[in-house]
Amino acid sequence: MKTRSNTRQNHLKLARQIVEIVLERGLTRGDHLPETTLSEACGVSRTPIRSALKILESNDIVQRRDEGGYFLNQSPEQVGIDGVTQLDEMEGSLAARILSDRAERRIADVQSVSALVRRYDAPRSAVLNALKILSADGVVAQLPGRAWAFQPLLDTPNAIAESFAFRLGLEPQAILAPGFDMDNQKSGLLRQQMEEFLQRSDGNMSSVAFLHLDCAFHSLIAESSGNRFIRGALLAHQRLRLTTQKDHSIPDFRLRQSLEEHLDILDSLERMQHQLAADQMVLHLRRSQIRKPQAANRGLLPLARKGMA
Amino acid sequence: MNKPVISFFPEASFGSALNCVGIAQKLQRQGAVPVFLCHQGFTGVFNEYGFKEYQLPATRKADNQRSEESWQAFINAHLEHFNQDPTAQIESYVGPTWNAIVDTAIQAEQGLESLLKRIKPDAIVLDNVIMFPAIANAGVPWIRVVSCAETEIPDPNVPPYLSGLAAGDPARSAFEKAYLEVTAPIHARYNRFRAKRGLEPLPPGQFLETSPWLNLLLAPRSVRRERAEALPEDSFVFLEGCVREEAQFDPPPLPVNEGPIIYLSFGSLGAIDTDLIGRMIDVFATFPARFYVNVGGFLESYQRVPNNVYLGSWFPQPSIVAQSDLFIHHGGNNSFCEALYYGVPSICMPYCWDGHDNGLRTAETGIGIHLKRDSWTPDQLREAMASLLQDHEMRERLQRISRDMVAADGSAKAADEILRVIPAS
Repeated sequence: MKTRSNTRQNHLKLARQIVEIVLERGLTRGDHLPETTLSEACGVSRTPIRSALKILESNDIVQRRDEGGYFLNQSPEQVGIDGVTQLDEMEGSLAARILSDRAERRIADVQSVSALVRRYDAPRSAVLNALKILSADGVVAQLPGRAWAFQPLLDTPNAIAESFAFRLGLEPQAILAPGFDMDNQKSGLLRQQMEEFLQRSDGNMSSVAFLHLDCAFHSLIAESSGNRFIRGALLAHQRLRLTTQKDHSIPDFRLRQSLEEHLDILDSLERMQHQLAADQMVLHLRRSQIRKPQAANRGLLPLARKGMA
Repeated sequence: MNKPVISFFPEASFGSALNCVGIAQKLQRQGAVPVFLCHQGFTGVFNEYGFKEYQLPATRKADNQRSEESWQAFINAHLEHFNQDPTAQIESYVGPTWNAIVDTAIQAEQGLESLLKRIKPDAIVLDNVIMFPAIANAGVPWIRVVSCAETEIPDPNVPPYLSGLAAGDPARSAFEKAYLEVTAPIHARYNRFRAKRGLEPLPPGQFLETSPWLNLLLAPRSVRRERAEALPEDSFVFLEGCVREEAQFDPPPLPVNEGPIIYLSFGSLGAIDTDLIGRMIDVFATFPARFYVNVGGFLESYQRVPNNVYLGSWFPQPSIVAQSDLFIHHGGNNSFCEALYYGVPSICMPYCWDGHDNGLRTAETGIGIHLKRDSWTPDQLREAMASLLQDHEMRERLQRISRDMVAADGSAKAADEILRVIPAS
């Protein structure tokens, strides 16, 4: 059975396809986009093409004119960068809001679609679509019946400690599994971003920017792994970290040290020293794992920490 | 001359630990080698700031479970005492706490002595409320950091330590009498321990002598009291606050992302009172501001967080205070001084120890409002927040205090003074 969210997603997909056609055919601002041509190129009828064009119109990518039909309203460069981002955001923005509200404990861990429709004042189809996006990342699961349940997030010190234990088990294996293959262009870009970040003075090293770099580095390691299951599990986990991890506690010294450890690992990987890189990864994660203790006050020994090796 | 090695020994609380980090950062820049002696459970904290750590060996078997049990027992035993007045707390909280502090000093002694022999520091910085004899006996200058309120150093014009009283309060003598009575047996036990370790006994009620070399006090001029007996200038230095350099905090955007920023932290111990914080959050939901709330290790106790509130288990405090329009805290001396350092008004809601002294001083010096933890109504809390946010005269005064404190650069001054007392080798 086709649901409304499926239909919406299909229209979004078609909208992306139209963007690709625009780029491939080198169309420029003001060019006509005939429905028949698009319908033939995409292999679908004109009705869904019209819906996809409406999505593009709502993002100012195309314009409907009185003389009939849709016309390209942006330069190909704009379409390629801003247009694609806008479509991504359309797909992801409600999902991101729901996830961030759950991570910040604004909504409970079990939700009905109607409750979310009310909270976000969004159409039912948009909420279902957002839940579908989140479920593809393993963040929510549909319960028997109509409710949806959030899976554990990285939102508490205990969850973060367990995340480290999970990564300590898997990330070195991601490197050691046969077939590790890293995209040199990606690693070069990441290296440059980390080196630039290291140039910042103390007090100007944003923890949010660090988290983005950190997740990008660990995702690169994950996607380079030769083991498909490790790759999948770690990539999903890094997406979860990026969207839900709350940790603003890292002093500048450790931020720098951590980035230098990333660079050392990249050095070893570029020299094909996988065993050394895996060992460096263990060291890196163990150092990062050291959490702020829960301290008692005067005279009482602080609580011993969980998750310490 | 070789680089001088300075051993820091802060007590097992974040306030003093991070206060010492601030001084150590400056000492390191001046070419000294700061190292940290740390209690079990603080391992890694100083390392994250780039300092070498030496952990005190455990004298008793303290596994995780045991520690968790003592923590839970502590919560169960003391949570109800947090709402008592300071005089009632002498028996319920202060006495048992001094007992535990004396235990800590006795247990740490042997390990501390052998660590100091190994490190061979040129000076030791003690930020604590009790003397560890191994430090006095180490044969090098030791420096006392008074990171508690100024009341820790007694004087007839200064209110009694932990009393929350004004200096001339008629209840003073009754408080002092009760304090000495409750602490007498603990104090006698501590003096016996001192004698065994070759140290002179201390007068009743005192657990830590002043240093003959150097004593560093945090208390800024704006809240200091006129003492009957002036402290000798050569060995007592006021730092005008002492704030560490901390990671930049970017306040995460909230679903309702408008209005002034209000930061709430009752410290790692105060976070255990989740009922109080929960009731405050209910009021926050009705107030036009953005709230960032430190809930320590108790994030899981909260659900349905309002759209203008963000809960975190830890914030790099100097950075968030610097961006805040109002700071609600428990009167811990670091929080008290950081609010002044950044020129931010306070609502001070103390629950124990020198928080009571700072709560009173907050009201006396017009730098904020002293609010009792257990007797406020939602309207009173809203009114307190609104009045402080609108008090431009107070804000201007706080800005002047802030400028003076920033210019004084307390942690750099502390570093200079510490290096001054190290004998040239």
